[in-house]
Amino acid sequence: MNSLALDLHPPARRRRTLAWFPLAALSPSLMVLSAFFALPMGMMIGMSFTQTETFSPTLEHYQRFFTDGLSIAGFCRTALMSLLVAVSVTVLGYPVAYFLARATTRWRAVVFALALAPELAGVVLRTYGWLIILEDRGFINDLLLHLGVISSPLPLSKNLFAVVVGLTHVVLPFGILSLMTSIQGIDPNLERAAQMLGASRLAVIRTIVLPLSVPGIVSSMLIAFTMAASAYATPALLGGAGFKVLATMIYEQVLFYIDWPFASVMAMALLLMMLGISFVGVRYESRRRSRASVSSGGER
Amino acid sequence: MNRLISILYWISLGTVLCFITLPLIVVVAASLSPTSAVTLQPWEWTGRWYADLWSSRWLDPFLASVKIATVVAAISGVLGLFAAYAVVYERIPGSDALMSCLLSPLSVPQIVKGVAIVLFLSMIGLQGFLGTPALIAAHVVLALPFVTRMVATSLANFDANLDRAAQILGAGKLQRIRLVVLPMIKPGVLSGVTFAFIISFNNIPLSVFLVRPGDSTLPITVINYLEYSLDPVLAAVNVASMAFILTVIFLFEKIGGFSAQLHGGSK
Repeated sequence: MNSLALDLHPPARRRRTLAWFPLAALSPSLMVLSAFFALPMGMMIGMSFTQTETFSPTLEHYQRFFTDGLSIAGFCRTALMSLLVAVSVTVLGYPVAYFLARATTRWRAVVFALALAPELAGVVLRTYGWLIILEDRGFINDLLLHLGVISSPLPLSKNLFAVVVGLTHVVLPFGILSLMTSIQGIDPNLERAAQMLGASRLAVIRTIVLPLSVPGIVSSMLIAFTMAASAYATPALLGGAGFKVLATMIYEQVLFYIDWPFASVMAMALLLMMLGISFVGVRYESRRRSRASVSSGGER
Repeated sequence: MNRLISILYWISLGTVLCFITLPLIVVVAASLSPTSAVTLQPWEWTGRWYADLWSSRWLDPFLASVKIATVVAAISGVLGLFAAYAVVYERIPGSDALMSCLLSPLSVPQIVKGVAIVLFLSMIGLQGFLGTPALIAAHVVLALPFVTRMVATSLANFDANLDRAAQILGAGKLQRIRLVVLPMIKPGVLSGVTFAFIISFNNIPLSVFLVRPGDSTLPITVINYLEYSLDPVLAAVNVASMAFILTVIFLFEKIGGFSAQLHGGSK
């Protein structure tokens, strides 16, 4: 509808007098993006293939990435962390998303605000909250020590657990939104019909809601994975030296070791991980679209 | 059985909502408590951490952040408006490819953009550019695609018949842009500008590479302190900066931002 309306745009009679204007309007944006995005990215990619002293092309930095042990470990930690965040965001977000998609009472607005408000609070505030909760003398350890459940503080911070908890909290609103959109697209009559025909709540969820919301589950996992893999502040504060991921290792390479080519290689590794995941998402989506258009083709 | 499932469902919903709100409550509580963490000691309330905010230690980075975010919002608002106008409204040749170019920074993680910019500036010998100028440039690169996309969406959604009617009634191009197009897409532009302000104000992954001692933003100052201590003044800083962001959103909303876009504007 929209594209149709735009296509009917009348040919402007006075277009010739202003023909240069659209180009002039576009050029500042293109200039800014080339100067501060395209050029730096190109330079970084070039640097990752360049020998430091002789400036000749080389793969030695990539070789080092694959052989020094630490870097590949960091890459795997990043992938593992992002996968855990993707799963926990989707599992935790599902009940909230289902409620938001189906509820009609005024509680819906309350839950909606509660689910999305953290997004306005910024990453630092939330990470700080988790630091207070999880650190050795923090809220949880304090509580457990008082109750006598444990005799020494549990190691809850500066590890994988803390980072996954913090990132799950950061990403959860996005997971909830994409799950909610997908569940809203399921005809509630299907659930009602199944229930009338005697299916239990569990059977309805397992055989109707879950299978039909698979696209939402996939997109929630993809969003969560990419956001987690590229996050910096949360892994830096909650993981620290105990749990280094690519993002924090890149930071160290630039500002402590001042090894720019190697930092570029790590940045390339992170970028390729993200592009790989996005590619999987695009492939999945286009496959689903084509399948959907085939199956509904006869009716339209 | 059904009852059990329902109970489990409500429990899981409640647990997740507690999980979401817990850290926020903890930070607000910490900002008001006299000790450095929320513990089980009897609580007394104190406002002294908020009083501590009125020192140059916190005011300087706050003002720097506000300054940078304002400039970024203004620049990316104007550039995004012009770019979306050229691509969507004028549909200049190759507009699809140009739009993908304009949105391409979105597919690169912020930390990678940050590394690229800092290496680039160092390579070409512009280290002196670090600090405020580099922060502004990097944040514009970050915010511009979002603004462009928001303005483009409202340009694509607005009823072209209005524009056509104005043309039939004899309005020239500039007149139509000023009197028809701009007022119709105003909510989209304003929400883009607000968004640009917020992502600049809260940014960490880009800023962390580009700040200089004495020329830092508020979030970077806060995380640098956080690595050494959980001083409750940080909780107060965080709560105050969240209150500031909410005020900014409220102000832009008053000028005619988001809900206008939800109720009118688009179809």
